[in-house]
Amino acid sequence: MPINQQFIDELQARREKALVCGGKDKIEARHKKGQLSARERLDSLFDANSFQEVGMHAVHRGRLFGMEGKELPADGVITGIGRIAGHTVAAYSQDFTVAGGSLGEVHAQKICDIMDYAQRCGIPVIGFNDSGGARIQEGVESLSGYGKVFFKNVYCSGVIPQIAVIAGPCAGGAAYSPALADFLIMVQGTAQMFICGPEVIKAATGETVTMDEIGSAAAHASVAGNIHFVARDDTHALDLVRKLLSFLPANNIQDPRHDLSQSVSLEPDDAMNTLIPEDPKGAIDAIKVIQRLVDQADFFEVQQDWAKNLVIGFGRIGGIVVGIVANQSSVKAGTLDIDSSDKGARFIRFCNAFNIPIVTLVDTGGFMPGKAQERGGIIRHGAKMLFAYASATVPKITVIMRKAYGGAYLAMCSRDLGADMVYAWPTAEIAVMGAEGAVNVLYREEIKKAADPAARRAELIKQYRDEFASPYQAAGRCMVTDVIDPSSTRAVVAAALRNTLSKRETRPPKKHGNIPL
Amino acid sequence: MKKLRITVEGKPYEVTVEELSEASQTAAAPTGVASVASASVGAAPASAPAPAHAPSGPGVVTSPLGGVVISVSVEVGQAVKEGEVLLTVEAMKMNTQVFAPNDGSVEEIHVKAGDAVAEGQAMLKLA
Repeated sequence: MPINQQFIDELQARREKALVCGGKDKIEARHKKGQLSARERLDSLFDANSFQEVGMHAVHRGRLFGMEGKELPADGVITGIGRIAGHTVAAYSQDFTVAGGSLGEVHAQKICDIMDYAQRCGIPVIGFNDSGGARIQEGVESLSGYGKVFFKNVYCSGVIPQIAVIAGPCAGGAAYSPALADFLIMVQGTAQMFICGPEVIKAATGETVTMDEIGSAAAHASVAGNIHFVARDDTHALDLVRKLLSFLPANNIQDPRHDLSQSVSLEPDDAMNTLIPEDPKGAIDAIKVIQRLVDQADFFEVQQDWAKNLVIGFGRIGGIVVGIVANQSSVKAGTLDIDSSDKGARFIRFCNAFNIPIVTLVDTGGFMPGKAQERGGIIRHGAKMLFAYASATVPKITVIMRKAYGGAYLAMCSRDLGADMVYAWPTAEIAVMGAEGAVNVLYREEIKKAADPAARRAELIKQYRDEFASPYQAAGRCMVTDVIDPSSTRAVVAAALRNTLSKRETRPPKKHGNIPL
Repeated sequence: MKKLRITVEGKPYEVTVEELSEASQTAAAPTGVASVASASVGAAPASAPAPAHAPSGPGVVTSPLGGVVISVSVEVGQAVKEGEVLLTVEAMKMNTQVFAPNDGSVEEIHVKAGDAVAEGQAMLKLA
């Protein structure tokens, strides 16, 4: 006997109710603002017909404040699993058209459940944050729901990649879930994120601030350093998700998506030499160098608008996925400071957690001097770079392009911090400090006694620079693996990476190290 | 080297194909690769200019936190003892009292009740 049609009809009716979300007019309103609906985001993100929804029929448990009997399709969040470019990925998408996408007990449980599934199966999680915040009608259950989500974020951290898309409001405590994720992608214009908004700030302390100053994608991208990528709109955000995933492994016991089928080319790249200015005070554009190093000039820069004195991002060299860290000497003389140290350290630790080899390009004048830096804690922030590199057990290949002085030389993945190979260009200046500073210390008496102190000093500076501002002192002591022609950098690094892929390192057992924070 | 699946008369074959004429590695950075990149936000959004602070120096009493002056407990010319309450700042629903760091007399008062103050802003000068 065939199934009674009324069962099919009822299921169909329930499905349609869920699929229409908060209603066609609400979805239209979003389209007018240039936004996709929660379901459209997932449909566009995943490969066609690959999405399996989890918990479509979930019902909230609110009983107070008019919640009893209120229908909230999917309780305001769509969760499930699908394929992106053939790879399995889990996702949740908050639905602003249903109770403002507010988070209640069941909404939170759905998110936690899909994160549990993702962790068990070792697949990445993408979260679309678009919510008015805690569902006040459900009181402490809503609060607890956030707590549960944060716990899952932390539980999964370093196990599976977590990408948060800020696609609408993400206010108050809700901002902490993306903050605990690995990467944040924020949409310009239609998304805002903050802990305390302008009204709360005004009421609490009397200070006047605008949303633009504290909650916009621009503020987070370029001032606060809270986010990693800015999307022009929802569709661009999806492109960014896919691009990011294309470099990453599904979980921490897999390798990233290396392409080892191509052989390494040893062809020299003469154009690399043209990127080095004759004047030592001229800047080397790290971005241009990186573009010549990576396959197809395809460099996916991360946090490009913040701490621009350090460039970070993903690429492939000879097919191998790498995380790249490079000083940008056109910004703050490529010095390391508080923000750039934070930026670099977190990226290095992400790469280490997910088996991504790290390539470091060095051209730094040192740590940035100044009262603001000292009183701001450059000591504990700068230490993060040292900690991150020294504790990383992935292949570490360093190329010293030009300046590498003092503590910053050490901090930029020197041999002593565990770099597997350190290559130096002939233009490299590896020294304890710059010639001017060194001469002041070493020849103080001699200069004072000289007939023409200024001339003697200039003489000694030139002498010091000629002898010590070079790679050969360090190479002589095997702190530098080899001095190479810049045109051979790509070939040398590609080969070194290929050879170091089998690296495995263990450390003494400990719960975890105590990175300065 | 490319790995391809070629179906001939319904039968699939997996083949490895070698390109004999390869473009030089030293060609200019190729365009045409579908480049996905973060949108740039350009210069950091300018913050509203901070209120002008009276210069710091000996005897200058600054606010320990951002808030609103609730009350000023002293007058210009008044002698004060160390630990005496000079002003009270309200912030985050708390009244924070600001005490005299040493004995002295009040030389200048820069704020009045109702003024918003920033952390570190000079409010009063003791002689």
